[in-house]
Amino acid sequence: MNAMRAFRIFAAEAFRDGLRRRLAFAVALVLVTGLAGAQSCTQLGLGSMEVNGETLDGSVIGGFLAPILFGFQAWAVLAIAGLLAADHLARPLAEGSAVLWLARPVSRGIWATARLAGALGVALLCGALLLGGTGAMLVLRQGVAIEPVFAAAAATALGSLVVASLAMTASLALGRTAVILLVLLGLVFVAFANGVGLATELAHPAIGVGGLVGAVDRYGPPLFSAIAGAVAQWNPHVDPGDTYAQSMQRLAVWAAGGCLLLVAAFRRREIEG
Amino acid sequence: MFSLELAGASKRYGRRHALASVDLAVPQGTSVGLLGANGAGKTTALRLLLGFARPTRGAARLRGLDPFDAASRRGVGYLPERLRLPHGMTLQRFLHVHAALAGLDGADLVREIDAVTETTGVRDRLHEPVDGLSKGLAQRAGFAQALIGRPEVLLLDEPTSGLDPLGVRDARGWIESARARGATVLVSSHVLSEVERTCESVVILREGRIAASGALEALLQPGETLEDLFVRAVAGREAPGPLDQKTGREVPGPLDQEAGREAPGPQDGPGE
Repeated sequence: MNAMRAFRIFAAEAFRDGLRRRLAFAVALVLVTGLAGAQSCTQLGLGSMEVNGETLDGSVIGGFLAPILFGFQAWAVLAIAGLLAADHLARPLAEGSAVLWLARPVSRGIWATARLAGALGVALLCGALLLGGTGAMLVLRQGVAIEPVFAAAAATALGSLVVASLAMTASLALGRTAVILLVLLGLVFVAFANGVGLATELAHPAIGVGGLVGAVDRYGPPLFSAIAGAVAQWNPHVDPGDTYAQSMQRLAVWAAGGCLLLVAAFRRREIEG
Repeated sequence: MFSLELAGASKRYGRRHALASVDLAVPQGTSVGLLGANGAGKTTALRLLLGFARPTRGAARLRGLDPFDAASRRGVGYLPERLRLPHGMTLQRFLHVHAALAGLDGADLVREIDAVTETTGVRDRLHEPVDGLSKGLAQRAGFAQALIGRPEVLLLDEPTSGLDPLGVRDARGWIESARARGATVLVSSHVLSEVERTCESVVILREGRIAASGALEALLQPGETLEDLFVRAVAGREAPGPLDQKTGREVPGPLDQEAGREAPGPQDGPGE
């Protein structure tokens, strides 16, 4: 059987499976809460704001508000991708329903990547609604440019692939709770490392961040550097340089590595029959 | 070419040998019963043949290919012992996906689903979720997916599990039909009467090794049933004989006497 056809069939089933899961309700809740938060936060620029007797221009408020708001929403999308992937492959393996599919003439790599695509599809659908809705409100109400919305959405999508593939790989060795903790703590730590890295870069470009934080920022997946690099264009006081392009290149390497690691780990895995 | 092959295949889990140097070669078009006590290595043998696990030593081949090669599973139908059907799929969708994976499409796919659901008696359940089917119906659904695409190799692990007597009779018919059209059938089962009726040869495993194998007619001694052969091969002694009225112990058979062994008393029990 054609490998692409098998992939399409399995990915469609994995997507449907993702929508049927109880976690989908949590995803919907994040979506509604996130959009409500965006609706509330983007009202800020409609009035006038005075700081130390000086009236701030709406675009200045938008320049600070938009990146923070978009960053939070993107973090939620990355977390959803990781949480969905945490057992999207491991669950059918543990339940035993996977053996029926794996007894068919399809490679393990096809099945694993199709499960990844299914989980990612649900996360990206949620991301499109959340980031699209937030972006639209920011553009219409804060008057910020629309291009960074697409650039940041692309960075979030690539970051979601990294998070989901690594979470799925981890789920082959660890239990669901451990993987969920790993995803959430990992995302917090990477966000912190990327934030410290960017802040240092902007304030003191000559000084590098050391230790584990510096190593994660320099060599780890630049999940938030890429997003920040895109949305920093909204703030006229910040010059992100080529942070976005560099971060996207490194994210692409991490995404390819994550997928290869998943396939390699799954090929080694013994299946209960 | 053999449809199923294990060449000196061993499988170890930690210190435990699930299979130890097992040689098995099943020619195309034959039906073999894989027997053994619980934990004898039957399911492990199937897992090696399907590429679900790698042998620690030796090799497994499915249709002449490495089972880790997806092409080896082309034309293979499998019914697992622990059948777990996926959540939230209707039976129709479930069979549709399996038919597509078996290489069918268009009108052929629809015809095949009609045929297997008619054969296995689940046609009126097509729109029900598979995970909501009763044990017996789920087993029939499992059979339907295994038979889809008229597989040339059929691997069945405890195929009559959960089936009522009518279902057991039907299952026998499905296996015989597959044999009649030239499919290779490997049945792993504890139901010896079914194996005796559907298989022409048997392989009996004992603690991961082959204790007996060959054509049933060659293995069975005059007047012996498959159960007798099984006990002889697995327990290394004869089937339980009549009880001595005085002692309450089983009367030892000639094989037990040869081995200088007493038959177990009533309190000993047959064990696993």
